[in-house]
Amino acid sequence: MTALMTVLTILLPILYLAVWADYLWLFYTEHPLARRTCSRAAGVVVVLHMGVMVLRGLALHRLPMGTQAEFMGALAVALLGTYLVVERRLRAKNTGFLTTGAAGLMMLSAAVVEPGGAKVSPLLSDPGFAGHAVLVLLAYTALSLSFLYAVLYLVLARQLMRRRFGLLFRRLPALETLERMSVVAVEMGVPLLFLALALGHLWMYDLADRPGLDPRLAQALTPWDPKILFSWVIFLGYTAGLVGHRFFGWRGRRMNIMAVAAFVTVVLGMGAVHHFFPTFHKFPGLDASAVTAPRGDGPAFAADHQLTGER
Amino acid sequence: MTGATTLHVRSISHKTAPTAIRERAHLTEARSVELMDALSAGAASEPACVSVIPVSTCNRTEIYLEVKEGADPDAILREALSAIGAEGELFFSEHALRLDGLEAIAHLYRLASGMESMMLGEPQITAQLKEAYRLARAHHEPGPGLLRAFQGAFRAGKRVRTETRISTGAVSVAFAAVELSRKFFDRLGKHRALLVGAGETGALAARHFLQHDIGHLTVVNRSFERAETLAATLRDEQSRQLVEADLNIEGESAAAARAMRGPDSRIIARPWDELGAAIAHADVVLSTTGATDPVILPAMVQAAVKDRHGLPLFMLDIAVPRDIHPDVAKIGNVFVFGLEDLDEIVQGNLAARRNQIPHAERLIGEELAEFGQWLEDIDMRPTVAEFRAYLEELKDKQVGFVRKKHSDEMADEVDRNLQQFIKKVLGRSMSTLRNSDSREERQRHLETLRHLFSTEDRDAD
Repeated sequence: MTALMTVLTILLPILYLAVWADYLWLFYTEHPLARRTCSRAAGVVVVLHMGVMVLRGLALHRLPMGTQAEFMGALAVALLGTYLVVERRLRAKNTGFLTTGAAGLMMLSAAVVEPGGAKVSPLLSDPGFAGHAVLVLLAYTALSLSFLYAVLYLVLARQLMRRRFGLLFRRLPALETLERMSVVAVEMGVPLLFLALALGHLWMYDLADRPGLDPRLAQALTPWDPKILFSWVIFLGYTAGLVGHRFFGWRGRRMNIMAVAAFVTVVLGMGAVHHFFPTFHKFPGLDASAVTAPRGDGPAFAADHQLTGER
Repeated sequence: MTGATTLHVRSISHKTAPTAIRERAHLTEARSVELMDALSAGAASEPACVSVIPVSTCNRTEIYLEVKEGADPDAILREALSAIGAEGELFFSEHALRLDGLEAIAHLYRLASGMESMMLGEPQITAQLKEAYRLARAHHEPGPGLLRAFQGAFRAGKRVRTETRISTGAVSVAFAAVELSRKFFDRLGKHRALLVGAGETGALAARHFLQHDIGHLTVVNRSFERAETLAATLRDEQSRQLVEADLNIEGESAAAARAMRGPDSRIIARPWDELGAAIAHADVVLSTTGATDPVILPAMVQAAVKDRHGLPLFMLDIAVPRDIHPDVAKIGNVFVFGLEDLDEIVQGNLAARRNQIPHAERLIGEELAEFGQWLEDIDMRPTVAEFRAYLEELKDKQVGFVRKKHSDEMADEVDRNLQQFIKKVLGRSMSTLRNSDSREERQRHLETLRHLFSTEDRDAD
């Protein structure tokens, strides 16, 4: 089993790069063979990677998102999986080289950074927290895809406005399709974010009730935490965008500028909240004993350790 | 060329002759049949022409001939064309391209691949060639050379179109308009187009949009009657096409089905004073009036886009002088394009198609090599077949003997071994014949083979 895992761990970045190459081939040549194979290849890689993650999780008794390499891998598979859902719904494959390229680079980075042994959060052994972390990852991946398609919309609109009929003009899908791809990504991201927040709240109350919890952390556990509040703002903002799109006919350049601005706000806002505001998401004083199923394989959780899944 | 027959083409096309000459050379379907009949009648008395396939389109008239070796194809064709009253001399004038043997077949392969078309890679020629081939087969079965050549041409054409991008991208202005609009709205069926002007150019562009399933088309013209007439014509055309396409029927049945279906409600006409309102409801605006001053003004468009909530408005001005005021392009979410933009798209697509030529030539070369090999082998095929029959006969005798004297298993084993043996002997013989230093030498080898293993000799034995 260990040997198989090692082989798959080495093989996965290569497979990601192969999928990227297939999508690039499609973008540059629109070769029928590339069109036929790219989605299937990407699907196989996602299934394979998920299988590796499940096996790894079972072996480690925790969510395999603890180390930097694991987190990068999880991000890559989330990106590729989310992209495939959007691609399948819109039947537009020509933008795949961007997402698969990003996923490939993440896998490559995961292969070169330290493979493990770093301090991992004992919370990753807690199913409630693990579910929250996975949902957050998927939600923000979907929102990042929405950002990507909104940017592509604006780029193509600019090309059309300037009458540049080059490769992007010939290969990118219609503005209407790019907009729908962006909206579909938000339609996926918003409910995922809601679920992530709801589960996070439930888990937080559950954690607060656990005996032996560090008083500093117990005091910090509040639904008014800046990170939670900002997440609700993000959720409400994107929901308003969806309502505007569906019921008030928000379309076109303005809508896509809003999508870009929203995601930039998410990234900058989250960074600011994390660095400049007190938030319990840094989990001060938490150790393995506070976790329901303390089976983490890492050393004791450092007071100021940041959960990679929450970045 | 084929040992027994030779292949030829006599062609008058857009590359060799002006339209007036091409019109004179054109062969209608009835005339093509007459030509085939005339050549066939000639073949009965004087077996010189094996088969003929005429191909006549608006850009070319080509006559593919397979004649007995040694016969003069020009004399045969001249006589036949004269017999049916066609202007036969045109095919022997400076306006005609005359190719023989493999060169003629290479031309056919390139033609089927769209490489000889006025618009590089256009797909219509394949259907036209297939129609000519079907007509020829319906009247007189073509000879083995032309049969094989046409089948190879269709295969080459299919490969070129599927393995290269020689047929992708719009290469006509009207189609480029549709292609450009599809960069805005992928699902044209959910969008509305407005045609401003009821002239020929506008009608042509409108037909392209309707063929690509635009959801709704409004025609606005200064003369409402003309707008209504064009809308009615388009409605009727679309209704006919939809019925024929849906039910695959023509004639009276189609008329009845059309009557049941009713007119195509996608197409309407509106009076000129409703132009502003019509723009407000449209996603695609095509303007083609003959007005000397702009008819679509910034204020009109500004008012129209107010309630679009950012949805882009695609406007195409294909009128000379322009119909859309230059300031309209400055309005947000309004994209105005002109004829020069469409031309740029067409030129870009043509350049992209031209880049595919080397790849297409390689594919044609592969298919041609296969045909060449077949042609090379055709004169030795009857002798080799006879030789094979002789070997098979010997094998069967031997296997029968073993089956009688020994067992079925042993006989099957001997059969398998002798099959392999025959395969090797024939392979070696074919290879030696193909590698003969000259045609004469090959004929000598074939003569020896016939002499040694011919049916007559064996029967005599």
